[in-house]
Amino acid sequence: MEEMVMATLDLITASPHSSSSSSSSPTTDNNNNHPSSSSSSSSSLCLSSISTRRTDLSTDLRLGLSLSPSHYSTPSREQRSSFDWPPVKSTLRCTLVEKSQISLFVKVYMEGIPIGRKLNLLAHHNYHALVKALANMFRTTILCPDSHQLPLISGNNVHVLTYEDQEGDWMMVGDVPWEMFLTSVKKLKITRADRC
Amino acid sequence: MKKAAYSFPEEVLEHVFSFIISDKDRSSISLVCKSWYEIERWCRRKVFVGNCYAVSPPILIKRFPELRSVTLKGKPHFADFNLVPEGWGGFACPWIRAMAGAYPWLEEIRLKRMVVSDESLEIIAKSFRNFKVLVLSSCEGFTTEGLAAIAANCRNLRELDLRESEVEDLSGRWLSDFPDSYTSLESLNISCLGNEVNLLALERLVSRCPNLKTLRLNRAVPLDRLPNLLRGAPQLAELGTGAYTSEMRPDVFSNLAEAFAGCKQLKTLSGFWDVLPSYLPAVYPICSQLISLNLSYATVQSPELIKLVSLCEKLQKLWVLDYIEDDGLEVLAASCKDLRELRVFPSDPFGLEPNVALTEQGLVSVSEGCPKLQSVLYFCRQMSNAALNTIARNRPNLTRFRLCIIEPRSPDYLTLQPLDDGFGAIVEHCKDLRRLSLSGLLTDRVFEYIGTYGKKLEMLSVAFAGDSDLGLHHVLSGCDNLRKLEIRDCPFGDKALLANAAKLETMRSLWMSSCSVSFGACKVLGQKMPRLNVEVMDESGPPDSRPESSPVEKLYVYRTVAGPRLDMPGFVWTMDDDSALRIS
Repeated sequence: MEEMVMATLDLITASPHSSSSSSSSPTTDNNNNHPSSSSSSSSSLCLSSISTRRTDLSTDLRLGLSLSPSHYSTPSREQRSSFDWPPVKSTLRCTLVEKSQISLFVKVYMEGIPIGRKLNLLAHHNYHALVKALANMFRTTILCPDSHQLPLISGNNVHVLTYEDQEGDWMMVGDVPWEMFLTSVKKLKITRADRC
Repeated sequence: MKKAAYSFPEEVLEHVFSFIISDKDRSSISLVCKSWYEIERWCRRKVFVGNCYAVSPPILIKRFPELRSVTLKGKPHFADFNLVPEGWGGFACPWIRAMAGAYPWLEEIRLKRMVVSDESLEIIAKSFRNFKVLVLSSCEGFTTEGLAAIAANCRNLRELDLRESEVEDLSGRWLSDFPDSYTSLESLNISCLGNEVNLLALERLVSRCPNLKTLRLNRAVPLDRLPNLLRGAPQLAELGTGAYTSEMRPDVFSNLAEAFAGCKQLKTLSGFWDVLPSYLPAVYPICSQLISLNLSYATVQSPELIKLVSLCEKLQKLWVLDYIEDDGLEVLAASCKDLRELRVFPSDPFGLEPNVALTEQGLVSVSEGCPKLQSVLYFCRQMSNAALNTIARNRPNLTRFRLCIIEPRSPDYLTLQPLDDGFGAIVEHCKDLRRLSLSGLLTDRVFEYIGTYGKKLEMLSVAFAGDSDLGLHHVLSGCDNLRKLEIRDCPFGDKALLANAAKLETMRSLWMSSCSVSFGACKVLGQKMPRLNVEVMDESGPPDSRPESSPVEKLYVYRTVAGPRLDMPGFVWTMDDDSALRIS
């Protein structure tokens, strides 16, 4: 181990700029923090396939996806409108985002009732709050998507929550992260649990 | 005479040791000789475990058989910013089970960033007769059912603090589970709960606990119920309001103002969600007695904030949104000469353009006007080396300096140079600096400054900075007191890490994500350093399905006497001696 340590130390002190771009002054990028200009400065270790994958990710709202490593590229504005930069805790982040976004009203129907309601999804921070609000609004029991309860379904007063996504498909609420759900939901439907 | 130390009876030594409270000192005592080690371990009552995986429950229990207070921390700090995937670990259950058996007289449990189940809370509720303090800071995994168990069974509970935890809020009924005969509550923090609690139960609880000093309500407690609560607890020292808004009615305001004025001991205020500015004057009568004010949720504009802050002449701690602007910070600097800690949070973290007139100048003003300022957390959109230099020279007594320039890699906006010199000035002048967070455009040079001057630095956070391994090498080889290093999105790789492997055993932990550390280097590190757990996190699949030279997504290295952990999820691999990767 010692030999390796000494050898690597020599490598570091002998050629400090071997894997870096500091000879090309960082200031040439000036105040242009565009992803492409920063990534060009470390071409020796750039993994182009990964950076392309990143530029494919674009979001309106934050997605609950784990993003692949950025490798010298400053994330673009869309990518950074994500959940890990700037380093603000989620409780504060949610409160602030709520202030900046006004509303996202969607139609909600309950099976068997022709007249629907409208609900502002942004007034809720997670699935649990949404389910609770709907259960109150429609005066029924809605199985919470996150809970581990095995549904002992009997009778017709237990419901589950489903939604129509951007592609027109009807899906069970709760499988994807909350933020991702917000970007894809078009309308909600409360259906009887024994039907699903 | 040589044997004088050995001739003291144990009881005397034990009595002397009881005056030594700090963990560090206790550790030092235990190293003096075998008999002191023995005496010390039997009379140790309080233990702090900074990384729950650094040691195991059996090891703790074997060494310290008579603990009354245990503090455990789980996930790494970057978990606060969603960098640690769900399911990573930090499970409290094995600890609580073990302690339930070993410490029937345990009084205090404090957990931070750990996963706590309802089952664990039930075990706590039923196992410790004299249980007094439960603090769950940034924890998750439990519901209000678990809280009901605590309320119903812990007859001697003094403190229940759920700060910033994620609680599945099934029902507000749990508060009613405190029996009518229960009166020993001194501190209650339910600010993180999403839904309504039973307000009548809360009022009754508050008014029957004469020693209640701290009450932090959640957002769902309406403002018009606050006066009643305050009247029930005029001895309150710390209050967190609920939503600070209501229909504008004159009686609500006067009721509120009167109730606040009645709390002569109130020193700390927080809460203030959804603030209606016209209700803020209700707190003016007590501003002159406040030492701590947390307005991080108060989305009001600068003039209101200025009025409030200018009345708080005794203020020591202020957390506020950047709505306060440079003007407001100038007023703060002029009015609050006792200020020790300032945190300014961004009101629009994702916006492209600045939405408020808050720049580096605000921080410079405060550094000039507040001689006792020690701790800073500041989010802004522009910074200059000159400003950092001024701040450093004004305030050499800074111990914590965390600056976040929102746009990564922003240079000095005046000269367009990197901010190396500015941060260099900070570490050079602030000789007692213990915690530092960097941001902006930074080269390896800033790390050279940090390695040279940051001799007391214990925690360093780095993002989007540096040019090469030399940067990391400067820090690891120069910062003698470094305990925690967390790095993201920096071009640091294998060389510096392997060259400084031994240093890692002197630290609590190292986090590196989106850097250039190769899988091969992680394996080498894990194999060569048996007393480190080298954990690689990769959600896209087992790292050995890619070439050895490919970089790992996330790396978490920490020292441990407990060996590799056994509770890792599928996306975490330990690099250890067997070098057999456990693939899910």
